[in-house]
Amino acid sequence: MIELRDVTKLYPASSRPALDKVTATVDDGEFVFLIGPSGSGKSTLLRLLLREDRPTGGTISVGGMALAGLPRRKVPKLRQRIGCVFQDFRLLANRSVAGNVAFALEVLGKRPAEIRRDVPELLALVGLEGKAERMPHELSGGEQQRVAIARASVNRPPLLLADEPTGNLDPETSRGIMALLERINRGGTTVVMATHDDTIVDAMRRRVIELHDGTVARDEARAVYGAGR
Amino acid sequence: MRAALLSREVSSGLRRNITMTVAMVLTTAVSLLSVGAGLLIVRTIDDIGALYTDRLEIQVALTQDTSSNDPDCTGPICFRLRNVLESTPGVGEVRFESQQEAYTRFKELFAGQSVADVARPQSLPSTLRVQLTDQAAGPDAVRAAVANQVGVREIIDQRDVVAKLFDFLGGVRNVAFALALVQAVAAVLLISNTVQVSAFTRRTEVGVMRLVGATRWTTQLPFLVEATVAGLIGGALAGVGLLAGKFLVVDDLLGAIAQSNVIPPVQLTDVLLTSALLVPVGGVVAGLTGYVTLRLYVKV
Ligand SMILES: Nc1ncnc2c1ncn2[C@@H]1O[C@H](COP(=O)(O)OP(=O)(O)OP(=O)(O)O)[C@@H](O)[C@H]1O
Ligand SMILES: [Mg+2]
Repeated sequence: MIELRDVTKLYPASSRPALDKVTATVDDGEFVFLIGPSGSGKSTLLRLLLREDRPTGGTISVGGMALAGLPRRKVPKLRQRIGCVFQDFRLLANRSVAGNVAFALEVLGKRPAEIRRDVPELLALVGLEGKAERMPHELSGGEQQRVAIARASVNRPPLLLADEPTGNLDPETSRGIMALLERINRGGTTVVMATHDDTIVDAMRRRVIELHDGTVARDEARAVYGAGR
Repeated sequence: MRAALLSREVSSGLRRNITMTVAMVLTTAVSLLSVGAGLLIVRTIDDIGALYTDRLEIQVALTQDTSSNDPDCTGPICFRLRNVLESTPGVGEVRFESQQEAYTRFKELFAGQSVADVARPQSLPSTLRVQLTDQAAGPDAVRAAVANQVGVREIIDQRDVVAKLFDFLGGVRNVAFALALVQAVAAVLLISNTVQVSAFTRRTEVGVMRLVGATRWTTQLPFLVEATVAGLIGGALAGVGLLAGKFLVVDDLLGAIAQSNVIPPVQLTDVLLTSALLVPVGGVVAGLTGYVTLRLYVKV
């Protein structure tokens, strides 16, 4: 699903690379935690996978698409294969739960009939059946993140990237979100999740890629967060 | 992108930035109004030029002697000059104006002023007034034919006098255009800024569009349509302004002068045409400005 070879990212303003010759492979259907101290390059890596930014060196391929030679008009195609959620949810405050999910379908040019069919399905997937007409500010953080996950699933993407999706949530709510992500993963979706949450990592026992100053310090299957914590 | 979504995004975008939208529309309207007025001024100045060149003559003023001694151009000197002029190519009618006639005209021209009382017929030259059929080559032909001939005091080409007036009008026209240009730059910058603000206020929407893989076109179109709509409204306002200007100002102030054929009237068809032109111009300029802005400054 993902292939990184010697991926280096040097931001113009800094002397130290944010990523330094990172090489890793993620297979279809895997669940991977991306951990490491603040500033180690986790978000940078996810941004490169989304083609929000380009690497300074090395090659990336996602779902069989080589990003280096990808023309700009094909970038939407790439992003349709990747779902994405963030710590800050990024919901549209002036639209209801259903409206937020419908918006993503609308901008993809889906027909109204399709939208009417898909929105309830997606909300059922994340367990928000009864809350379709609520506004985002009427939801808890966990529920907002569920809306974001529903929205990220509109294309039924084979890859889901999550950048600290539980960063703003309490442990109990976080567990709920992790259960949801696990369920999505069981459905065949590859999940890559950047996180600082050792409890979650330790509880899930999945593959862990640990970054340190932009390099891979550890890449271990069924691992824990680390002795350092 | 579906029409319903587009129109909803556009109208919410225009309403959300209502003050900016109004500023953008007004600035566009004012600058297009200047451009339109500039075009009409150019048109009118050209018309004035055409109106006058047909009436302009070359005056061949005769010397004092000839003027006094030959009141009806039958003497050998004047008669010969007249024949020479009449046979010069490019020349139409040649009319003789005696000292007495010149004096009468002079009195009329300066009626009520003291020079009229001071002037005497003897102090004015009689002239041969030459109408041209060939405006381009005629003046030089006339000069070549009678310059330095016996009995000729001076050759006055009215064109030379009027040229100064046209130079002045040309200056007015250039100033009008320079102002219109400055206005246009201001309008373009304001449109660009409005698009940037609009993209910023909708950064969450734009972010969502990008992340779920909406095409660049889908992401940009609402902004382009917004700018274009504002440009079209600005153009329409400018057009209405031009028409109002014609009926309320130009016709009122210049109507009488135009009637007496001193200056040509500003034609309604010209005004309508210019007004109609301003609408698409406003839309296209605003749309292009939006497009370039999105390319350069806004990551969509
Ligand atoms: N747009 C940018 N321009 C310049 N430097 C940047 C930019 N984004 C990130 N960096 C730098 O790159 C390095 C890696 O940042 P990144 O955001 O990837 O870290 P992270 O692992 O996600 O950290 P955190 O856990 O705090 O989210 C940091 O040193 C950061 O300062
Ligand atoms: Mg980060």
